[in-house]
Amino acid sequence: MLDLLIKFQNMDRRWIFLGMAFAILIPLLFPLKLPFKVNKEVQAIYDAIEEVPKGGTVLLSADFDPASLPELGPFFNAHLHHLFRNDTKVVIVTLWPTAPALIIPEMTKLAAEYGKEYGRDYAYLGFKDGKELAIKTIGANIPQGFPSDYKGTPTGDLPVMKGMRQARDFDLMVAVSAGFPGLNEYVLQIQGQYDLKLVGSCTAVSGPDYIPFYKSGQLIGLAAGMPGSAQYETLVWEDRTPPKHVKLLATAAMDVLNLGHLFIIALIIAGNVAFFITRRVEESA
Amino acid sequence: MRTTVPLVIGFVVGVFMVGEFFIPHWRYQEIKTLLLEFGLVLAGAAFLLGLINLTQVNLPKVLRREEDWGYKALMLVSMALTVFFGLFEGLGRNDDGMVYKWIFDYLLVPLNATMFALLAFYIASAAFRAFRARNLDATVLLLAACVVMLARVPIGEQIPYLPEFMAWIMDVPNVAARRAIFIGAALGAVATGLRIILGIERSHLGGD
Repeated sequence: MLDLLIKFQNMDRRWIFLGMAFAILIPLLFPLKLPFKVNKEVQAIYDAIEEVPKGGTVLLSADFDPASLPELGPFFNAHLHHLFRNDTKVVIVTLWPTAPALIIPEMTKLAAEYGKEYGRDYAYLGFKDGKELAIKTIGANIPQGFPSDYKGTPTGDLPVMKGMRQARDFDLMVAVSAGFPGLNEYVLQIQGQYDLKLVGSCTAVSGPDYIPFYKSGQLIGLAAGMPGSAQYETLVWEDRTPPKHVKLLATAAMDVLNLGHLFIIALIIAGNVAFFITRRVEESA
Repeated sequence: MRTTVPLVIGFVVGVFMVGEFFIPHWRYQEIKTLLLEFGLVLAGAAFLLGLINLTQVNLPKVLRREEDWGYKALMLVSMALTVFFGLFEGLGRNDDGMVYKWIFDYLLVPLNATMFALLAFYIASAAFRAFRARNLDATVLLLAACVVMLARVPIGEQIPYLPEFMAWIMDVPNVAARRAIFIGAALGAVATGLRIILGIERSHLGGD
């Protein structure tokens, strides 16, 4: 018995990988579709966007990469649906070199779906390196940091940028952030200085880092990880049925999180039970 | 001279940028914007330096057939092709049908996503081996981790009082600890900034 428990504690990690693979695959094949609640931080994002006056403009900093796409992509997608549906204009920037190829197809597809005109209803100013410096420039003078959009049109010539010189000229700023540079740097560099209305979406691992900003009012809303994206999707599509081509990926992935987390917790419990029994037996021997 | 001029520039620009937070005068702000633009140009130039540095470090190792030279050669070829098509295809490089877009969609996206997805498996394995209630501290950490993990998913939300307990962990002990870390780090950053502005810290100039 003791040998078995010791073997269990030192089992080949490939068994754990196999178990994890099943924990991911089973809910994908047989979804449970358990209901989940929307927390106050995500509700605050939704409310902040609803409060933007019709025809108002939102500045969206999309700072993610393919690795964080499963967590943040659904938020980005639902957010564009939300903005376009409300006739809110949007100007997108990015500080991540891997983001443009993810942003452009999604933005173009959704804008066409809602009949939005590039330059008038939305614009994408492209990628800017410089990290905190680029963020300071967004706070101080956007056309100076982003002199042209991704097509080469001078930023000042875009109708959507009329009267929009710095971040505080926008009705709201949204940061979809996978790490550095991102939400943390927006708070540190420009939120306080320019008193910005800022909301954010981040990866699950960063969520606890940003809660102090939410509690202090520096962030007025926060969606963390896949649960945050799923809750935001729920709010965006709460009062209507999404069209067939719209896939609520974060909502679907909540089942995977369910079983994945349960599997890890079960492993921790089993590992500790084995550890205590082994230790007790060894001490009494 | 080689030390004094950079120190004077560092002092003047450092003091100026501290001042911009407190002085909203338009002329002061215009100069600040100009300095930021200088910084952005330098950051852009750093990409070029990065390319040169990668080539300088890896190309000789490939030519000398040192250990793992094949991986280094593959990295250099990938870098050269991406840069070439990125420049050659210009502003339309992210459009469908472009080679740059193909490289991104069919090489970078699956590789990058795979690396991150593997974390789920390694975290499961690490949690099984590392999370042992060996003492009081480890037990508190373990319990907090399990509560947060469980309460963040729909099944956990159905357990009475668990979501509220998770919210308390995140809002009270987590916020208290994070704020302490933030304030400590901020004080450290202020001290380092002052040392650089006043020329006490000179390691960024290449000295000791």
